[in-house]
Amino acid sequence: MSNAADSPPVRIEAADCRTPFGDARATCAALRAGRRALALQPVLGAAGGDAVPLAPLPGRALDETAPPAWLPCLDGLVATLPEAPWGDARHPVFVTSSNFGVGSLYAFAHDHDPAHLEFCTPFALVEGLRRRFGWGGNVALLSHACVSAHLGLLLASRALRAGPAERALVFTFDFISPFVTGGFHALKILNPELPAPYAVRPTGSIGLGDGAAFAVLGKAGAGFSLSAQTLHNEMHHFTANRADGTGFAASLEPVADAARGRRLWLKGHGTGTLEAGRLEAEALARLFPGAPLVSWKGGLGHTLGSCGLVELAIALAAMRGGEAPGTVGSAPPCFVDAVATEPFATSAYDGVVLASNAFGGAHATCLLTHD
Amino acid sequence: MIERHIHCVQTEDPGLEEPAATRARLRHLFPPGAARRLTQLGFLMGSVLDPVKPAEEDGLVYASSYGESRALHEYLASFPMASPTLFQTSIHPSAVQQVLVARQQPVREFFPFGGHAQIVAHAAQAALWSPSPRSILCGGEERTLPPGNSRTASSIGFAFALALSAVAGGSVGSLRLLETADAGGELTLPDFFTALRDRRALDQTAAPGVRLVLAWR
Amino acid sequence: MSDPLKLRLKQLIVSTLKLEDVDPAAIADDAPLIGSGLSLDSIDALELVVAVEKEFGVKIASSEESRAALTSVAHLAAYIRLHAPPDRPPG
Repeated sequence: MSNAADSPPVRIEAADCRTPFGDARATCAALRAGRRALALQPVLGAAGGDAVPLAPLPGRALDETAPPAWLPCLDGLVATLPEAPWGDARHPVFVTSSNFGVGSLYAFAHDHDPAHLEFCTPFALVEGLRRRFGWGGNVALLSHACVSAHLGLLLASRALRAGPAERALVFTFDFISPFVTGGFHALKILNPELPAPYAVRPTGSIGLGDGAAFAVLGKAGAGFSLSAQTLHNEMHHFTANRADGTGFAASLEPVADAARGRRLWLKGHGTGTLEAGRLEAEALARLFPGAPLVSWKGGLGHTLGSCGLVELAIALAAMRGGEAPGTVGSAPPCFVDAVATEPFATSAYDGVVLASNAFGGAHATCLLTHD
Repeated sequence: MIERHIHCVQTEDPGLEEPAATRARLRHLFPPGAARRLTQLGFLMGSVLDPVKPAEEDGLVYASSYGESRALHEYLASFPMASPTLFQTSIHPSAVQQVLVARQQPVREFFPFGGHAQIVAHAAQAALWSPSPRSILCGGEERTLPPGNSRTASSIGFAFALALSAVAGGSVGSLRLLETADAGGELTLPDFFTALRDRRALDQTAAPGVRLVLAWR
Repeated sequence: MSDPLKLRLKQLIVSTLKLEDVDPAAIADDAPLIGSGLSLDSIDALELVVAVEKEFGVKIASSEESRAALTSVAHLAAYIRLHAPPDRPPG
């Protein structure tokens, strides 16, 4: 089978996100100004621990409440959705997350308050959200760590092409909790240093942040489109990539083929880890020579399962607004010269390659174009 | 209507088997270094996936409502000194990753689903929409008694895997998805599993607008 | 004479990492822990870091420090003796 990117294009009718800076436009402006939402905070919230870079929503504590304090954030995001009978047969919804309500499960394990239980399992949480938002029953749940949102976009695209769907909603969120921060700290990648994606430094660190986003996809038309989408799963090691970088290439090469002739900039995954950051940057620089590369996780933190769509929404804001934020938190020397540490004008570009990677050597790439 | 033909069906029905017994029964499938980390669900998924032999060109779809529930609760119990292994193992879709990493088997497309009432319909859609020449639809749960009666785990354990393609010759059955005006419908993983295990036909609305037909030859 | 700390570490390695078919006494003091021999990987190393902190109160802060400390059982014993808190002598 040819390793071709998923095509033909699907139109992005609408998209937006919520980060600690606000919606996509506000987040893009904050990142262009070089601001960080990350601040050093105790890794286990109320239980203390090392100070690590975290970016919860303003006023939200790491420890989950019942009901969760992030629900109003989702209410606000849903209020901006285009009107449609979401969740019926012709308007499927794809909900993606890495963690769903695992913060509530952590809270229940510690305080045994049964009020947390309705948020603890992914399907119970999403069923509650479905009712809260008035959606029908055609709501699919996908969870594959940090490529979750990309999977939702790809399946929504296939629903439009293959099924009865007229429009499809991809809805994603991840809110940090001691469950998640404790785990990444135990893996020694959430360390007491602010992240500097793609920068050459003796030790790496990520930051973690809250994020939520949506995209409404429709059948092809003018405007912004997802013109190509690919996946690849190395299945080499849970936390490490193949040292030769072939895993990254396997996902990027079909998009490079599809993007031939376009003037591109690149939004990479770039969490602030060293080895994966280097492999990713080198693969991108090789396959897309001359294209500026950015990551925004130095400003927002890694928003985990939601990152693919949060960052897509910011990229759209950057294309519409005429300027892309640089790689906040990073300064030369970087792994490759293509890393843009300062904002740059987007008017010269007609496409963005967006890449995300996850545990298990999962890779997802898409091509955002404007015609 | 979209249809794929079933070329291989594998099921695991461990009943009330405890994890140690599953390990003893299935550890021969894996090298010792990998087996020591496998969960019960990982062993069950390994048992059903090995005969299907996932390949890089396949589209792989995995469905589990509760995922790695035992690792999840053991990880929670490890705080404040969180276990990195249990954290890693608890993250969906760990069970299939445990198997494929042990085999060093890359796969191009991998769609892990959660959900409950419509999980089978959505996972089947993903498998049947895949442009890959062959799709593998698999899933399972591990039986866990969660602490505090939190209803955060399955009370039964099982696993299944189907190999699907557009080629009818040599197939043992078929899986079809058709449009329906019915706005309701559900089909859970345990019900789908028992139909596969017993080679029983299904014809029902499995999600709003989605009729699922499972037939055997 | 065998070093009781090294033996304790070998037992800790086997139990923490569930090395069911490995006799702790058969682990050589200077054998590489990660990569060859026992075929331990980076996640095993991190799990050992947690176990060492629980058992001995010795914190290994970064992945770079853990790589050095976990070179072998002998290296790990020396690291623990150097960094153990005064109220928890490792023996």
